[in-house]
Amino acid sequence: MGTVHARSLDPLPMHGPELGVQADDIEAPEIEQQPRQEVLENKDVVVQRVHIDGLGRTKEDLLSYEIAEVFRAKNLIDVMRRSHEARQKLLRLGIFRKVEVVIDTSRGEDALPNGLDVTFEVTELRRLTGSYNTMVGNNEGSMVLGLKLPNALGRAEKLTFQFSYGTKETSYGLSFFKPQPGNFERNVSVNAYKVTGQFPWSSLRETDRGVSTELSFPLWKTNQTLKWEGVWRELGSLGQTASFAIREESGHSLKSSLSHAMVIDTRNSSILPRKGGLLKIHQELAGYTGGDASFLKEDFEIQLNKSLIWDSVLSGSLWGGLLLPIGDKPTCIADRFYLGGPTSIRGFSMYSMGPQSEGDYLGGEAYWAGGLHLYTPLPFRPGRGGFGDLFRTHFFLNAGNLCNLNYGEGPRAHLKKLAECIRWSYGLGIVLRLGNIARLELNYCIPMGVQSGDRICDGFQFGAGIRFL
Amino acid sequence: MSLAAEAFVSQMAAAEPWPENATLYQPLKDDQILLSDHASSLSVQAYLRMCGLPVQVVCRANAEYMSPSGQWCRNWALGYFAGHSLSDALDDVQRAEMKAYMELVYNMLLSAELYLQWCDDATAVEISRPRYSSPYSWPLGKILAYQKQWEVRRKMNAIGWGGKTLEQVYEDVSQCCQALSQRLGTQPYFFNKQYVFCLPSCPCCLYGHVAAMADRLLKSNLTYFLNQQRDYLACLKLIHQRKAGHCCGVCKT
Repeated sequence: MGTVHARSLDPLPMHGPELGVQADDIEAPEIEQQPRQEVLENKDVVVQRVHIDGLGRTKEDLLSYEIAEVFRAKNLIDVMRRSHEARQKLLRLGIFRKVEVVIDTSRGEDALPNGLDVTFEVTELRRLTGSYNTMVGNNEGSMVLGLKLPNALGRAEKLTFQFSYGTKETSYGLSFFKPQPGNFERNVSVNAYKVTGQFPWSSLRETDRGVSTELSFPLWKTNQTLKWEGVWRELGSLGQTASFAIREESGHSLKSSLSHAMVIDTRNSSILPRKGGLLKIHQELAGYTGGDASFLKEDFEIQLNKSLIWDSVLSGSLWGGLLLPIGDKPTCIADRFYLGGPTSIRGFSMYSMGPQSEGDYLGGEAYWAGGLHLYTPLPFRPGRGGFGDLFRTHFFLNAGNLCNLNYGEGPRAHLKKLAECIRWSYGLGIVLRLGNIARLELNYCIPMGVQSGDRICDGFQFGAGIRFL
Repeated sequence: MSLAAEAFVSQMAAAEPWPENATLYQPLKDDQILLSDHASSLSVQAYLRMCGLPVQVVCRANAEYMSPSGQWCRNWALGYFAGHSLSDALDDVQRAEMKAYMELVYNMLLSAELYLQWCDDATAVEISRPRYSSPYSWPLGKILAYQKQWEVRRKMNAIGWGGKTLEQVYEDVSQCCQALSQRLGTQPYFFNKQYVFCLPSCPCCLYGHVAAMADRLLKSNLTYFLNQQRDYLACLKLIHQRKAGHCCGVCKT
């Protein structure tokens, strides 16, 4: 009888939402050449048993969904392919540090001549993992402590706690995440948090204490999220010089909202995609489940990418949003939209356009913004195939507008208002991709269509962020 | 407690002419405002009106949070007063004396008001907490009211009022009023007769606190306490008359 060792094919393809597995947590398997003693490739085989070795806290029933497909394999190649898929599924649960697959011929009394046993040798992550970071930004330094129970109850539930202690503000959050066994994309999460933010462009300080519950599930080609959020918001002015409009907004409010988000993402990468598109629609209804704030908020994001010659990519995106107050109360500054900055309309200062009072930006109830980029590799392509591939040069053209609407006037007047006084800018710069979550940009911008009151950033502008126009 | 009296300080340096649209923001008059805020608001209004400075009063549920420093009208009153050229009318001794009386009023009467509002359980449950939380929806209102109560109680403990009984507080207030009555004696003004309208901030802050307190205490059937203060009530009446005479009866009690 022959022995075949099958090992996985590639190190670790990771997809899907935040799975909690850091690339460092998982060791890349070495490819070993094992001498074959018999060619089994075309023989029909039966997978008789699947073993999982190394389980401690993990409940077996969770894994049986993930490995069920292995039993359906009909020949050796199939066994290897399905085992590989099962391995990927196991890794995606985010509870194993390492998963190895061993395929062997069946032994024992009831062993069939063409029977195979598949063994998954897994190494679980530690019961409790911790992290420690320091961050500097927004004129503030902070220390972030994180604690995570990656497999809290044995069925890939994750309990995460993050605490950020800053020179000015302290924030923390606790979140519990539970996937449906056998269907990782379908999951529930519950969060409780306190976040404090300072927004110097509005001379505003906001402290949010809230709880939220989220349900995510795939539907056809989309990913849907339903969410309820209850937030106690405390607004205050930042310093003595805040304008009176900001001081009028100060105080406490309670927002209870139901929201729905739909995402279709066919891009090959979320930061510097070469092809594919993104459609994101988000809607939020506040006030029907209690709370002081009542509004309907709609916004969308579209991005399309097209590859051109010489590895260059043409990318176009469009954002838009509308905030409708319900009832007599005007909208709250914390709910309105903001525009401008190195990651939206470049050439303008961060969130510094549109309605304002004594230099404090108040945000708008309607906005749109569009961007057109031509990404090319660096000139002369230094560091090609390595470090240089993290960089791109880009030429961009951004445009947009942010304003308040008088809802009595009708759609024609609204469109007219959004179409007049358009802010736009163009320029070029360098983009650096940071992992697959964020990017840095250094741009030379030329702002145009500047309206009185807008704060511009003529010339070089540096920005970092995770959402880009 | 922190009335947004500073709302108009930002619009006004002491040397500048009084703005026409000066506005005093205070908590909602019918449902929300508590004794101490009401008193502070009345003090400021009385002062301004006796100075002949027009002010518009606007009720806002978030008035407490509108002041960026969180300080209330006391600092404002003193600051403006000090910067006012008419303060030259008093000599140093009188000015110091007046400041001392104002401090007495603030320290004693305001603390007593806060004690009654938040440390007396019956008042806190029946009046203060429901009123304080009235503009907010559940459960935020409850949280804020308890937070406020906790804050005030901590402050009371810090100034040594934590262990006092209601009777002791009444006794303190009574003593404070007696001191003021003695200062007043039989004359109708606290300070120089000639300048009563120029320098009314002392009687005004007094007026605000005492009037507000009298109002509430009478409602709580605690008239016995005020009956002991006849002299003082007489003084109050005078201030009323003066105010009424001077500013066309803008303040009513």
